[in-house]
Amino acid sequence: MSTLTINGQDLTLGDDEQLNVVQAAKKAGVEIPHYCWHPSLSVVASCRMCLVEVGEKKPDGSVAMMPKLVPACQTPAKANTVVVTDSDKVKQAQAATLEYLLLNHPLDCPTCDQAGECFLQDYSFKFGNAETRLQEPKEIRKDKDYIGEQITLFTDRCVMCSRCVRFTREISGTAELQIVNRGTHAEIDIYPGNPCDNKLAGNVVDLCPVGALCSKDFLYKQRVWWLKSRNSVCPGCSTGCSIHVDQNEDHIYRLKPRENPLAQGDFMCDEGRFGFKYVQAEERLTAPEWKKPQPESNGSSSSVSRWSEIVNHVRESFRLVAKKSPRSIAAVFSPWMTCEEAYLLASWLKKLSPQVRLTLGPIPVVGEDDRYPKNWRGEPLEPTKFTIRAEKCPNRLGVAAVLSHFQSIREDFSSIFNAARAGELQAAYVVGGGPPGWLSSDEVKALAQVPLLVAQDILRSELTNAAQVVLPGASFAEKEGTYVNHAGLAQMILRSVHPVAEGYNDCRIFMEISQREGLFNARVMRKEIAEQISAFRPIASGDLGEYGVMLPALQGAAKQANLSEARQ
Amino acid sequence: MITVWAVKIGVVLGMILTSCAYLIYIERKLAAYMQDRIGPNRVGPFGLLQPLADGIKFLLKEDVVPRHCDRFLFYMAPSLAIMTTMLAFAVVPFGPTSTDPDEWQFVIAPGVDVGMVFIFAVGSLAVYSIILGGWASNNKYSMLGALRSSAQVISYEIPLGTSILGVVLLAGSLNLEDIIQFQASNGFLHWNLWTQPLAALIFATSALAESNRLPFDLPECEQELIGGYHTEYSAMKFAMFFLGEYTHVITISFLMSVLFLGGWHFPWIAEVGSHYNGVGAVKCGVLAAKVFAIIIFIMLIRWTIPRFRFDQLMSLAWQGLVPLSFFNLAFVMFAKQFNWPVWVLTVASLALLVGASALNGMRLQRRLRVGSVSSPALGKI
Amino acid sequence: MAISEKDIVWVEEPSIGLWEAMYLPAIAGGLATTIRHVFQKPVTEEYPEVKPVLPLNYRGVHRLNRDEQGRVKCVACMLCATACPAHCIDIIGAPTPWEDRDKYPVKFEIDELRCIYCGMCEEACPVDAIELTSIFDLTGLSRQEMIFDKDKLLSVYDKTVQGGKDPARTTRGVLGPASENLVPAERMAWPIDELPSSQVNS
Repeated sequence: MSTLTINGQDLTLGDDEQLNVVQAAKKAGVEIPHYCWHPSLSVVASCRMCLVEVGEKKPDGSVAMMPKLVPACQTPAKANTVVVTDSDKVKQAQAATLEYLLLNHPLDCPTCDQAGECFLQDYSFKFGNAETRLQEPKEIRKDKDYIGEQITLFTDRCVMCSRCVRFTREISGTAELQIVNRGTHAEIDIYPGNPCDNKLAGNVVDLCPVGALCSKDFLYKQRVWWLKSRNSVCPGCSTGCSIHVDQNEDHIYRLKPRENPLAQGDFMCDEGRFGFKYVQAEERLTAPEWKKPQPESNGSSSSVSRWSEIVNHVRESFRLVAKKSPRSIAAVFSPWMTCEEAYLLASWLKKLSPQVRLTLGPIPVVGEDDRYPKNWRGEPLEPTKFTIRAEKCPNRLGVAAVLSHFQSIREDFSSIFNAARAGELQAAYVVGGGPPGWLSSDEVKALAQVPLLVAQDILRSELTNAAQVVLPGASFAEKEGTYVNHAGLAQMILRSVHPVAEGYNDCRIFMEISQREGLFNARVMRKEIAEQISAFRPIASGDLGEYGVMLPALQGAAKQANLSEARQ
Repeated sequence: MITVWAVKIGVVLGMILTSCAYLIYIERKLAAYMQDRIGPNRVGPFGLLQPLADGIKFLLKEDVVPRHCDRFLFYMAPSLAIMTTMLAFAVVPFGPTSTDPDEWQFVIAPGVDVGMVFIFAVGSLAVYSIILGGWASNNKYSMLGALRSSAQVISYEIPLGTSILGVVLLAGSLNLEDIIQFQASNGFLHWNLWTQPLAALIFATSALAESNRLPFDLPECEQELIGGYHTEYSAMKFAMFFLGEYTHVITISFLMSVLFLGGWHFPWIAEVGSHYNGVGAVKCGVLAAKVFAIIIFIMLIRWTIPRFRFDQLMSLAWQGLVPLSFFNLAFVMFAKQFNWPVWVLTVASLALLVGASALNGMRLQRRLRVGSVSSPALGKI
Repeated sequence: MAISEKDIVWVEEPSIGLWEAMYLPAIAGGLATTIRHVFQKPVTEEYPEVKPVLPLNYRGVHRLNRDEQGRVKCVACMLCATACPAHCIDIIGAPTPWEDRDKYPVKFEIDELRCIYCGMCEEACPVDAIELTSIFDLTGLSRQEMIFDKDKLLSVYDKTVQGGKDPARTTRGVLGPASENLVPAERMAWPIDELPSSQVNS
């Protein structure tokens, strides 16, 4: 227990809280402006924006202030520290620092992508002077668009906070960026011929507190004040990075990492950051389709594209098959499904007949887990600060947990695959929802032999071409639900955009097929799942909060993560 | 003889209808000039073909008949409107006449001794067209307009008739030709305008009200009643109402000039004793000029005085014009009985006007005092 | 806040004398007024034949200004689209092919049918690139042709410059820093009364 005073206000910190004054002040509700300090990076105290008055309260009650201002980011918040951030001295220092930082700033906010979320703008507004006293012409420096494949540098906007440099040295360990020259000529640059193209490079754009480093992918696409942001989870790998999905008018423009100490920390990888494009690809399924075979005519088939008719057809035909031979019905769940979807589909099929075979489809695994930071040989160093997992799907644990509740004996996908190839299946329900290339063409060929094949996916593929019924579902950005990451952390995803054209939220499709009453509500569904499935007890409130909820029952399963069943 | 009559009737009706069309044009132009505008100028030179275009439009427009109306009466109303006003024209002389049946008579039906009575009888039929139109339209606004109109027309018929009685007494005849003859033979200063100025004023006011012209066009006041009794009428049927109204204006202008302005008489140019070639045409022209001047005057009045409120309209008739016209008639009776000189009548008329105005002023003052806001501060000012 | 007694002026209604109560003089006065107007010059402007001369700060059709080198002056900051209450401006920005500027609009469309001509875009523009001209008689036969693209908006600029119909606001004063690095001194403050007389509306 330690008590310190911030602007005359007492703040008590726990013994395990090792904070600096910036963090402590934030806890007390006081904002200390800062550029160079970042919670995940080392402290350099170079921007001088966080200068505050600091003193010590003596046991006799008197306060001894330090004669000079000190950087708050470098000052540990220990007991009896007295911090003053609103004195004239501090305010003058802040204004002077800002004026200095803005000396050579081009003030091209109208054309700058950062405008609207720029700390130069925010701090100038809150702490700065309205006018500059600089008389001389500003120094104009050349932009550097060679910094990286995804990164461009507007050199004259830079405030030399060195966050990006420290990131490449401390988090990714690749150390491509550096500061060249000294004093007022200092610039961010790369080593010639060694661009900043590591798998975490996109994070330097987020780290940049001003508009110096910009993402080429997002460059000039939108003004940030038009973007509407919803919390979600990256579906790229089983790390399950917390993200913001930024969209405007139903178009996703960028994903940004959302700070989550339980999941991944402050960052995300470029695979996930730029890997969402399939969500708005041309190949998206836009309307449901039921290709009716017409035996009496010359083989051509007519097709139906009305949801109500198709849903009825699926429901009735599965019911008929389940009556005759329930073992010939199989459902392939994808690891991109949310727990709610898996629950709804499994409960419908198991209600038809307990003998229906449910299986988790192939788990995409690419290489091995990619751990950062790395040394110059590319070998991972301890302690690991960021991991890109080999398992390229977000919810294997969650779907598997739901399936094991409905079906005590686990069905491997390979057995379903063999049954399909042998022609033993009468009906199959395959749910996709992820990026293209989930099922191999062998698997599709086998499934195509099933007479009644229902494919619910978001992209046109071999599978949907072969299927008798095609149902357009929703991608991760278009639905609500729960993903459970590699460590058993259940996180909420929220709907950011509308499903494409006539596409439906997957849960809605399942609810209509199973004739459940009411509209889908993820929160209510989570409560139901928590009641039914013991592994999901911790989410019984239905609310997972910003960081998500750990599911201890699945943590054990995560430890013995058996990748052998997955296809290499 | 019948053919002569038929031709005469045809020519007169044609003249009236054509002049109606062009009076509308003149009125629109005049209204525009009074409001610093230009007026119709798109059709033909100076917009002179505008009446033609209007006519074509009226003929070609869709003739809408409301579904729940009384069809027979709905069709009858506009025909009645135009018929009655045309019929009144039968006895109105539009030039010199004579008692000799062989001479050319500038009147369709010469020598009708009850001319005035005929005009009033036929003219009061016009209220039927309005009432029928309003009733048959099966429309609240039409009905309200028609009711207002009937009340108005009935009220103003009394001062209209009474004001003329004085003139009739002086001339000693109901025959319009005789009335002209009486004024013409006694000379310019015996025009009834000079001997009966108050009667002329009452007649002019009442006649405006009778023909539903501004400032007395309450039956069709747009702000309150959309179109009044002709709300539901369109195309040619509306045009017939419109023509009826304008014919009415021409009729009252003729009556005004015949009764008060000496008809075709004008000093030195057109006297009783004038005998030169084409004197009939000149007399005709004089009368036409007088009529035209009165029509212009009516148009000027239209854009000068705003519309009356209905209670003001009624109080003007019953509290102002009716008593005044009776007093005026009484004076004429006295003058006839005791053979007073005619200038006495002029003086008496003006005295009546001034007296009535004084009474009116006192009444208005009293109302101002009663209605004014009472406030402690009012005393300080 | 109640109105204080000292702010109230009580006006007495004018008294009515014999003259007013007679009505006829007032009617005669009214007639005199109307007759006088008959002989006055009409104020009507015969529009299609006679085009009105509108003040140069009239808010009509938009134009996109050009810089000294004839390039579009717009930097695609989209502040106009942000300010637009009718959401009628659609801009797609891109890196410029030029050395001295970062961003320019590859697409700049204004839906002139949706626009309410409030002039907020003009106020928002940091580089004075978008302006409302005094062209008011904008018509079209299809919705598509009323959506003005960049070329069309630039042609409005050329037309208004050639026709001497520069909006008066062009001469407002110092331009934003992002528009031009150097603003000629004589253009920085060009008082309105020094405009060529042809540009000043009577």
